[in-house]
Amino acid sequence: MKESDSIEALRREIREWLAASLPKDWRDRQRGDDIPGFLAMQREFFAELVAAGYATPHWPKEWPGGGKSLAEQIAIFEELARAGAPRMSLFFVSLYHAAMTLVECGTDAQRKKHLPAILNGEVWCQGFSEPGAGSDLAALRTRAVRKGDHYVVSGQKIWSTLGHFADQCLLLVRTDSSGPKQAGITFLLMDMKSKGVEVRPIKQITGDEEFAEIFLDEVEIPVENLVGVENEGWKVAQVTLSSERGLSLVELTERMALSLWQLVDTASAGGEGFSAIDIATRREIVDISGRIEALRAMLTTLMANRIAGREAIGDASILKLAYSRLSRDFTALGLRLGGKAALCDTHYTLGAGYETGNWMFDFMNSYQYNIAGGSNEVQRNIISERVLKMPREKMA
Amino acid sequence: MSELDSGIDTEELRDAARRLLSDKVDRRAPWEDRDGGRAEIESAMSDLGWYLLTIPEELGGLGQNFDSLAPIYEEAGRALLPLWPAGTMAAIDVLAADGSQEALTALQAIAEEGHRIATVILPADASLQSARISMVPGADLATHLLLIPESGDACHLLAADAAGISIEVVETWDRSRSFADVVLSDMPADAVRIALPESLALARAHGELALAWDCVGAAEQCLTETVDYMMGREQFGRSIASFQALKHRAADHKVALELARSLAGHASAAYAQKSGGWAEIATQARLMAAGAFRSIAEDSVQLHGGVGFTWEYDCHLFLKRALVNEMLDGAPETLKDRIAEALLERAMSSRN
Ligand SMILES: Cc1cc2nc3c(=O)[nH]c(=O)nc-3n(C[C@H](O)[C@H](O)[C@H](O)COP(=O)(O)OP(=O)(O)OC[C@H]3O[C@@H](n4cnc5c(N)ncnc54)[C@H](O)[C@@H]3O)c2cc1C
Repeated sequence: MKESDSIEALRREIREWLAASLPKDWRDRQRGDDIPGFLAMQREFFAELVAAGYATPHWPKEWPGGGKSLAEQIAIFEELARAGAPRMSLFFVSLYHAAMTLVECGTDAQRKKHLPAILNGEVWCQGFSEPGAGSDLAALRTRAVRKGDHYVVSGQKIWSTLGHFADQCLLLVRTDSSGPKQAGITFLLMDMKSKGVEVRPIKQITGDEEFAEIFLDEVEIPVENLVGVENEGWKVAQVTLSSERGLSLVELTERMALSLWQLVDTASAGGEGFSAIDIATRREIVDISGRIEALRAMLTTLMANRIAGREAIGDASILKLAYSRLSRDFTALGLRLGGKAALCDTHYTLGAGYETGNWMFDFMNSYQYNIAGGSNEVQRNIISERVLKMPREKMA
Repeated sequence: MSELDSGIDTEELRDAARRLLSDKVDRRAPWEDRDGGRAEIESAMSDLGWYLLTIPEELGGLGQNFDSLAPIYEEAGRALLPLWPAGTMAAIDVLAADGSQEALTALQAIAEEGHRIATVILPADASLQSARISMVPGADLATHLLLIPESGDACHLLAADAAGISIEVVETWDRSRSFADVVLSDMPADAVRIALPESLALARAHGELALAWDCVGAAEQCLTETVDYMMGREQFGRSIASFQALKHRAADHKVALELARSLAGHASAAYAQKSGGWAEIATQARLMAAGAFRSIAEDSVQLHGGVGFTWEYDCHLFLKRALVNEMLDGAPETLKDRIAEALLERAMSSRN
């Protein structure tokens, strides 16, 4: 069987599965004004995905659902997007950042403990950023001091996505400040129920509480929770940060492409056919649709290169910057075309693509792609310095 | 690297094109009133077999599709090639798709007798007995014209020197290529009729894609040369390429360029396979590539400072070609208006 045939077969299988298993009412159950409903729906569908093997295609093959090629992983994300399934936002860090870090850098004991737990719904968050360490992540200062068989950790983490729902945390701490800032960072696994951990949700620009601050006051973390080598956590963190291999952009871009009709629908409101869409708006939709197609084509090439092992330096930054800017422009257009209706604070769906039902929410939310995971400006630094080979900034 | 059906390697084609063009094209020549050796370049292109690539095998061609032309068009843009092979190439697609005996004879003449064609789109309100079609690229060098009426009527293939046709060279700001007005005062009786309903869409899409790749190649060259200049230019005791405000502009240009390249690739594949929406995607590819090229070329002048404002430096070569590329066969707005309805319908039909 040719590889493309087996991918087609997988796609068919997922489509059939989704037709039978996707809860029809998930949008109503994941409303922004009903957090318990959101959590319950996420857990329910996650359990189904795990049982069907579609949550863990990127895991090693000894795990249920694991051992799939990157091409198969892409197919799964695309099919989920095309079927309009909910995004698994509650479990993304668990499935990708936590699991892949443990697979690549963890101990056997850590894997045995956490990977099955993740399949059972253990929620993880990422505790990297600090008030003083954002783009300059290596400037982090949360202190860990080793005392016997545990570390004692004090400091503050911020912007930790879904931190207030998390059971476990991927934590970066400083164990040595005598050398260069990247040296002296250590990677720990922290139980969020440990004594001395206090989590305060932060209300976002959208009004939701999706990320949190984590205050650490003499928290004791067992030494067995060290990942990799003490003072060499920066390397482990790079593994965490590259763990999703572009798949979330595959999913998000597919969802944006599939939402183009939302834009057209918004623009044609109140008209027969497209008669309500004026010429200037038509032109803008043509532009946006061209950018979406271009982004999809770029993504297809990048993923193919990745599969073939010949990705060029900076390709991922070009893609991320292209996506983040498009997400702003796409939602801004929706917001403008939506008129007053889009300005009203109506309910919206969480964990959707660009079909949350509220353009203002989508527009506000789109900032996250422009800030998190390396801001646009940081991506421009990377592109100019590493791709165009322009001189590097002098950095402290 | 992609292998075409008959084992022609597109990357080898690209390398050959790049070598030939960097050897033969003297891009300053038209700006310094020297002869740029256009005839010699044209015959070198013919010798390399470019005009045979997409001619069907049974007529002595190589039977390739658009994938083999894309790298050539891109290299043509990079080199600021002073010729317009896309006229003949687009005509080849129309004639091959038509497949009538007359069309096959015409294809054979392209392969064997060196006929070179300017593809001319006649506005819907123009008459074959009296019309002036302005700024047709390369019409002054063509042996033949393929007249394609926007109205959907049959096309006509005729000799460029036929009675009733006159070709009037026009001087444009973009000296990197030649343009001529085609003036019709009578339709020669021996003009070959090609009654293929798809002619207009094929010729147009081919032209859009050729322009898209021309823009991608030229934009990349322009950006590379601009960054090189910035690296070498020092002010305030350091290279101007080290100023973050400028680096970020360069990075944005790079993103726009890569998006344009991606869309051009996707659109070319769609055209080659005639897969869903190929005509509209070709137009979108041209729009995006022309926009990226224009903004890179515009900023190139600014980033060069005073020297960018001179005739001596090459910034204006790119800028003028970019502005023409964006306007040929219709301004961006015209193009968007042409495809909007089809795109809106496709978007609504994907609703699930
Ligand atoms: C929705 C969301 C979710 C997040 N989730 C997590 C999470 O789960 N875990 C976690 O650890 N972190 C998370 N983050 C944090 C995120 O990684 C940081 O916000 C990001 O790295 C930027 O850091 P900062 O907020 O401190 O901004 P700063 O670094 O202070 O940046 C402020 C501005 O300065 C610019 N800037 C900074 N440095 C440069 C430079 N060298 N050149 C030019 N401009 C520069 C930036 O681009 C930005 O515009 C999340 C953030 C958001 C918005």
